[in-house]
Amino acid sequence: MKRREFIKKSTLVAGGIAGFPYILPSGIVNAQTSPPMAEHVVFVLFAGGVRQQESVLQRYLADSQPNEVNKIEGNILYNLLKGDPPTEKIAYGIDDQSNQIIGATPINPILSQPLDQIGTLFPEVRFSKGGAGHFNGLSTGFTGNYFVSQGLKKRPPSPTLFEYLRRYAGFKSSDCWYVGLDIGGSRPLLNYSDHEAFGRNYGGNFIAPMTTFGRVGKKYFQDFKNYHPEEEMPPIREIRNFLNNNYAAQGLEIPNLNPTEEEDYFIKKFVEDTFHKVENNGIIMPPVSDNSDLQTIGYSVEVLRYFKPKVMVVDMATIDVCHGSFTDYLKNLHRADHAVGFLWREIQNIPGMANNTTLIVMPEHGRDETPNSIQDINDWYAYDHSGNNENVRRIFTLMCGPGIDAGLRVGSESTPKGDASDIVPTIADIFGIRQQVENAGLLDANAQSLFRRI
Amino acid sequence: MPTFIRPILLCILLSSLVCFSSCEKKEYVYGIEDQTIRPVNSEKNKPKTSMQYISILYTNLFRKVMSPNELLEAQRAIESIGDKQIAYDILVSKFISNPEVVVPSNDEMRSEPEKFIRDLYTRFFIRQPTEAELNWLINYLKKHPGVTAEQFYFAFATSNEHFHY
Repeated sequence: MKRREFIKKSTLVAGGIAGFPYILPSGIVNAQTSPPMAEHVVFVLFAGGVRQQESVLQRYLADSQPNEVNKIEGNILYNLLKGDPPTEKIAYGIDDQSNQIIGATPINPILSQPLDQIGTLFPEVRFSKGGAGHFNGLSTGFTGNYFVSQGLKKRPPSPTLFEYLRRYAGFKSSDCWYVGLDIGGSRPLLNYSDHEAFGRNYGGNFIAPMTTFGRVGKKYFQDFKNYHPEEEMPPIREIRNFLNNNYAAQGLEIPNLNPTEEEDYFIKKFVEDTFHKVENNGIIMPPVSDNSDLQTIGYSVEVLRYFKPKVMVVDMATIDVCHGSFTDYLKNLHRADHAVGFLWREIQNIPGMANNTTLIVMPEHGRDETPNSIQDINDWYAYDHSGNNENVRRIFTLMCGPGIDAGLRVGSESTPKGDASDIVPTIADIFGIRQQVENAGLLDANAQSLFRRI
Repeated sequence: MPTFIRPILLCILLSSLVCFSSCEKKEYVYGIEDQTIRPVNSEKNKPKTSMQYISILYTNLFRKVMSPNELLEAQRAIESIGDKQIAYDILVSKFISNPEVVVPSNDEMRSEPEKFIRDLYTRFFIRQPTEAELNWLINYLKKHPGVTAEQFYFAFATSNEHFHY
């Protein structure tokens, strides 16, 4: 089967469903209330626990390290935010190997204009409930809800944004992707919830490319046989359907996301093709790709190029090294900015996604105001996200794309605007299904579309 | 109506009432309780964990036990893909292409189709096929000269029954 034929068919179907109310496979009548603001949304969980002080406040070392000689300010996120970089004690860049100076050379900016100048920044958003743990934070971003008692290795109890979008906007499984940094904690379980009215049949695809295409993936997946969809797969399906007969009737299936036959084939083809690219160094990575966040973003762009998904969530986490090394935290924060800059630049190079994609960036939670006792190679103190202080609740949200005001700042330290649970209703608003999502009654009481907070 | 007929009709009506009211419908009770008929594989309704599935799959295909380290690695690979049917399809096709996995040749399959199907059921489902299952699959094999033993193996290994216990 040719991909072009598949895309052509899909486009015809999509074109057909865009203009009219329609009945979804579930039997629910879609009643999209307004046309989408953009055809694609990419949501970056700028995750790992980011302090306001080193991000939107641009304080570099000034608010973190006690010694007077460290009172140095500056912006190390210059693809995201407007502001001059620090001029002294540069430790966040690329290591100077010859002189053995850690982080001595800052990474060049990728974007000619920072994203806060082409989009809207909510500089003081609140992660308002529950403990500031990574998976509480991630699941709040995915569901628009807080699960103060959710344990690890559990699916969220209320629907993810993928489930809302597949159910109310009629998206297919391959329209929805979560590219995770790894398979730790609950990450592989965030692609759909346990909610009985939503769940697996409305779930999004998950892939942790550093694992899928890493050592174990190579051992167990590389050179697998992707059966031809028209010549080899039909008998397999017929035999399997016969064997599955009474299981399917009872809903006892190998957990799948209800993809079409074409989607099933192309997802496998993506895995197959990506292995070939990995073998031939064909994955286009960011200019600097010396940590797993940056490499994950490289693979995320491969997913974007291949599927042009309606919605993709990608998370980063290396910032969390701040528990033990403030220097490495600064380095990885600077690299996370580099990753987002690269992502936005590449989106603008993908036909169909360029000028038609909304990018949303939000840390999952903040970090403590006061340091722990660990000092790193520069004698700088490290920071945890231990809770019970307001600093862990302080985050920001940045969004840019079609119809979003350029250079706008909404809220301030004295008048915070926005909540970590806002992303789901915001994305629902972008795709014209906010009303249905709100009517489902499963969002946090604070959750509100960011467009309604402006 | 002539007056003499009335007593006669009354007598007939009364005798009919007596007759019919004395009739009882006989119900025969046999010593057999109602039974719900379920498919032979209905007992297997609990999903295997990814570790159980991979371990059993490996044993069924390679006829040897997977080492704990390999099992953990394969599980990590499976966890990295969200749609488990797709992930298992990829793993099974990778395993089947391994020369250590002995899949009967197509000639062997076609020369003894019943044995081939029975062996598949025993290997993957740990049971014998019903007559209906056996007939359907043998007929399928005969009607589709292009279908291969590998395709049968793949379908059985990635079926829902193989995923449940």
